[in-house]
Amino acid sequence: MTSSKAPDADKPAEQLAAERNQRVADAVQLKQPDRVPLLLGMGYLLAEMGGITKQELYENPDKAQALLEEAALRFQPDALMGAWHTPGPSKALGDRMTKWPGYGLESNGSFQFNEREFMKAEDYDAFLEDPADWAIRVYLPRAFSKLEGLAMLPPLGMALFGYYNTLNFGVLSAPPVVEAFEAIGEAAKRTAEWGARMVASAQRLAALGFPPFTMLAGSLIEAPFDFMSDTLRGMRGVFLDMLRIPDKLLAAEAKVSRFLIRHAITNCKAVGVPYTFIPLHRGSDGFMSLKQFEKFYWPQLKDMILQLIDAGITPWVYYEGVWDERLAYLAELPKGKTAGSFQDSDIFKVKEVVGDTMCIMGGMPLSLLKPGTDPEKVRERTQRLCEEVGKGGGFVMTTNVMELEGCDPDLVDVWANATREYGVYT
Amino acid sequence: MTQKLIDAITEMNEAEALKLANELLDGGTPPLDVLDACRKAMEVIGERFEAGDCFVPELILAGEMMSQISEAIKPHLKQGEADQKLGKVVFGTVEGDIHDIAKDIVAFMLDINGFEVIDLGVDVPPKKFVDTVKATGATIVGLSGFLTLAYDPMKATVEALKEAGLDVKVMIGGGQVDENIREYTGADAYGKDAMAAVALAKQWAG
Repeated sequence: MTSSKAPDADKPAEQLAAERNQRVADAVQLKQPDRVPLLLGMGYLLAEMGGITKQELYENPDKAQALLEEAALRFQPDALMGAWHTPGPSKALGDRMTKWPGYGLESNGSFQFNEREFMKAEDYDAFLEDPADWAIRVYLPRAFSKLEGLAMLPPLGMALFGYYNTLNFGVLSAPPVVEAFEAIGEAAKRTAEWGARMVASAQRLAALGFPPFTMLAGSLIEAPFDFMSDTLRGMRGVFLDMLRIPDKLLAAEAKVSRFLIRHAITNCKAVGVPYTFIPLHRGSDGFMSLKQFEKFYWPQLKDMILQLIDAGITPWVYYEGVWDERLAYLAELPKGKTAGSFQDSDIFKVKEVVGDTMCIMGGMPLSLLKPGTDPEKVRERTQRLCEEVGKGGGFVMTTNVMELEGCDPDLVDVWANATREYGVYT
Repeated sequence: MTQKLIDAITEMNEAEALKLANELLDGGTPPLDVLDACRKAMEVIGERFEAGDCFVPELILAGEMMSQISEAIKPHLKQGEADQKLGKVVFGTVEGDIHDIAKDIVAFMLDINGFEVIDLGVDVPPKKFVDTVKATGATIVGLSGFLTLAYDPMKATVEALKEAGLDVKVMIGGGQVDENIREYTGADAYGKDAMAAVALAKQWAG
């Protein structure tokens, strides 16, 4: 290990935490901090560095926390994240749309989304008529094996029949319905436990000088188009809808926007964190034409972002894939009100087009941190990122995929040190 | 009238295309001529895709139309009547990765460009690639992977094919794959998109 000490490693934890917090906050608000902040999404690199399986990383939270603290102290980032979420709720519900190490994958597999057509084209009418009823009685039984019993419930609107509806309560004691409610209870418990662990983890890191990175804690929603695609129609289904039944797709997007935005605002208020994370999937270059983008994707997303901003929330948008042909649209967004993570877009062009509009996050390709890369290449890339994308502030250095699975820790050292070296604003 | 069918497919008029195909077949047009018209239409769509004039939704709908028309043609085909292929490609998403979008697009483009594609699906172990190449005599293998975790299984698959002494060319692609990764995995080439994969396959098929 060649890691040299961070220039400010001798400062007290409290001061360090405050400085790091300020550095990130300044960049997100499009200001120029004292130096370019570094965000490390440790992800499964924690398991790799600790010599444990990914499954154990989830099942042994104490070990995971120890590894996270070790990584924090070694790399000295300004903000850091551990592994994504936990498989507990998915296991409890018999989730059919995700696979985790030890749940659908071998103990060293990596979390994956298993996109399926849980909603059929012929479901649109029922969906549009009453999305909540359709969600509970049709969708959940399809998407979660332990929730199949919910299909037996009477139409949810029958609850409006007050006393008379209690005559229908017999079905609530049917074994499949009981099993479904128990599964929901179990998933709720697992989620609460995970939440408590996250809070405890943040407190321990704060004591070491690493402020809580809260940008994922406010709420998570999707662009209306992606919402219809990812967990409902699947990419294939939604693209066919675009050509075969465009009006129904647009009506569905309008319908889901309303509760997505309402949820994001309510949840941000409830947890006291003014950030909403919006990962984007099918709107990038190559999937659909600009004409289709202008009709089915961008207006709905832009409206969502504007409404969140009006509610005092900073949307953090992950522009997955390549957005090079769509950057001019992003420049329409209000200045200094959003943050954007970029995966495979030309990050230097991103700076040129939207550098005055939003905080830019990303820049370090994960492939450059893989074992075998010449460290000099990592330093060169870091220097160029700091000088060009970091120019004038509004830049958070992180990998293009925001995590570090499969990287060489020694190269992460090189990168982190180079960020502190080249990232200083004078 | 086959030109009308070509136009209907390329203009994404699904109902019209199906109606025309059935009319042609019922009117005695040889099924291989109908198939040929479909292929011409798909070539146009492939060119538009390459030029950035049409995108994934159109590819998917074109694929839908193709499979529906193929179904309609089947009863009209005589035994053994089929078209010549340029070569065989064994294709799949490597072990540990279950992403199929990139794989499906490339498989589709290879198919309409005249290759027989043996699609092994997702999460395919190295041994299955080896066994399938042996069983089919394919000369080209395509490995797809979206996740960064796909690099090592790609490398393992390339090694397994070499160890088995199979004379195949291997291309990789998808997600984060670039020249660094090609070098790491020992593959013969990487394709940055579906058309690059088609160009490679054509070059290798000689």
